[in-house]
Amino acid sequence: MRKVFAITVLLAVCLGSLGISASAQEGDPIRIGLQGPMTGDYAYEGQGFEKAVQLLVDQVNEEGGLLGRPVELVIEDDAGDPTQSALVADRMIDAEVVAVIGAYNSTATEPASEIYNEEGILHITPSSTATRLTEKGFEQFFRVCFLDDRQALFAVMAMQDVIGAEKIGILHDNSTYASGLADWARIYAEEAGLEVAFYDAINPDDQDFTPILTNIGEAELDAVFFTGYHAQGGLLLRQTAELGLDIQWIMGNASNNPEMIEIGGVEASAGTFIVTEPLPQDLEYPEAVEFVEAFTEAYGEPPASVWWLLAGEAFNVIAYAIEETESDDPEVLAEYLHTEFSDFPGISGPIIGFDEKGDRIGTIHALYEINEEGVISYYAEQPQPAAAE
Amino acid sequence: METFLQQLINGLTIGGFYAVVALGYTMVYGVLKLINFAHGDMFMWGTLAGWGLLTTVLAGFTDLDLIAILMVSVLIIAFVGVMGMTIERVAYRPLRTAGRLSPIISALGAAFILESVARNVSDARWRTYPEGLLKELPDLRLTEKVALSGLQMIMLVICGSIMVGLYLFVQRTRVGTAMRAVSLDHNVSRLMGINVDRIISIVFFIGPALGGLAGLLVGIYYGSFNFTLGWTFGLKAFISAILGGIGNIPGAVLGGFILGVAETMVVAYGPDLGLPDASAWKDAIAYVLLVIILIVRPTGLLGETVAEKV
Repeated sequence: MRKVFAITVLLAVCLGSLGISASAQEGDPIRIGLQGPMTGDYAYEGQGFEKAVQLLVDQVNEEGGLLGRPVELVIEDDAGDPTQSALVADRMIDAEVVAVIGAYNSTATEPASEIYNEEGILHITPSSTATRLTEKGFEQFFRVCFLDDRQALFAVMAMQDVIGAEKIGILHDNSTYASGLADWARIYAEEAGLEVAFYDAINPDDQDFTPILTNIGEAELDAVFFTGYHAQGGLLLRQTAELGLDIQWIMGNASNNPEMIEIGGVEASAGTFIVTEPLPQDLEYPEAVEFVEAFTEAYGEPPASVWWLLAGEAFNVIAYAIEETESDDPEVLAEYLHTEFSDFPGISGPIIGFDEKGDRIGTIHALYEINEEGVISYYAEQPQPAAAE
Repeated sequence: METFLQQLINGLTIGGFYAVVALGYTMVYGVLKLINFAHGDMFMWGTLAGWGLLTTVLAGFTDLDLIAILMVSVLIIAFVGVMGMTIERVAYRPLRTAGRLSPIISALGAAFILESVARNVSDARWRTYPEGLLKELPDLRLTEKVALSGLQMIMLVICGSIMVGLYLFVQRTRVGTAMRAVSLDHNVSRLMGINVDRIISIVFFIGPALGGLAGLLVGIYYGSFNFTLGWTFGLKAFISAILGGIGNIPGAVLGGFILGVAETMVVAYGPDLGLPDASAWKDAIAYVLLVIILIVRPTGLLGETVAEKV
């Protein structure tokens, strides 16, 4: 008797839940996916993505949603891992999302981008900069960040316009990232008419760079662009001072870390330039200020990384495209982003538009200087990127 | 010419560090015929312990003078020396009759343990020494462009005195004589009334202690380090010891200086000789040099001249 009763209850519960899910679909929310490393090595960035995007989703919903429908954020964790990423992509498709924001690192973005493109889902990465991602002719794939070659171009402009250099040096550390950036810098420097009088690499496992520094000192350069990481950057700065050499260093974004100044020493580091994506609080655009304020109010601290801001940017682009096209068809949205979308007031600066590959046009890099107190501070004079396009 | 002089100074400074660390490899090999792979990591522990002392216990003192540094040196010599003796007692002595392969595996194990603990102690981050240590020393300007910094001078003087002192110790004292005897034959030494275990303990105190001191000097000189330091320096020092003839004290010193200067010159003049990316080639060329020297002289540069190896 009790068994029959239990089965009846079970059936009733099943039927009931079916009824609930059916009625939920009548409400018809627009589902947008967020895929990122919520655990693992890059968890800090992934969790920041979630904070930034959730904040904007809540704002949109408070104002009545998109096309009169509420927005539902579907969050999946790929742990920065390519295998997980493919599974996440399948789950996103099952959840019937219109668009996906993510992933954080290029390695995880790559497999997911193939699946989303095949399924015709709009896919925007906030932070994956590997060039090859947009070389595959995917119609549905975009990014709101900038590639490493833009950074190289910006560094060259900083050397030419701000430092006033004519004869420059480029130093990398033989890693894929740093040597790629150095190659681009050489190409743009030569295009800009600068003389690249020194081009070499250090071995990042070394502790002593005095031999190569002596060579750099000998070459009498106006500026030297180092594209490697901050630990070696610090050692280079310290040993430059130790040797009594007068070298104007300009560091790439992998050296944007206060630890570099700790290693190099304040005295030896002061006056060094750093080219990097700006810190969120240094963005002057009203949209950026507003976002940073809202974020600080919601979470008690400002966004720590520019990638969080760009995750929010990706959401804004998707929301704007949905409103403008009055459609939730991903293919319509992608078509719109490729062709009509332009001059959008983004929170990371105006988005001029996307090129045919899906890359964002323009640049947001900024020039920083290490001041006398050893603080990385926004430099008063900035190269003008608009001239570069 | 001026650049050459400067590069020579750069190379001798690097070589000096290799040489002091190489002494530890060569002494241990002399008495035990064992490659002590944990030696590089004990050297790194000297850097780590120096960082610990200078940033915690002595953190209040802003201008640490020579006396304070000397005190830290003594503490580190004692600490790393005892660490060396302990490792010998725990990881090597039980395996002394077990053939040649087992102690080497045990040495690798000890190296991994030291490195892992250091990784955790330092949070796997780059750690920095307090700024301005020994900065007050005057530079020695040889010419307008060529300078030997005060720090470099101190390093070279310390490295030099360690080597001379150790050589005299081994050649002129009773304990040193006992070491040479042990390096020739354990059993006969025992018959001559030498306490072989005690001599080996002493060797395992002196070698790591000197390594630890070199570690402290590296910390002061370069200002920062991470836990992989022992691997990179240890490997180079090991090569230096082989190059000079392992087991031979002046050989280890000579090997260290040759390797340091050779590396530097490859980086300095590689680009001129049509070798871009000389830094990437530096190690390859250093090893080619090693292979050539070993083909010509299989026992290393000074390997034959001294019959009794220490």
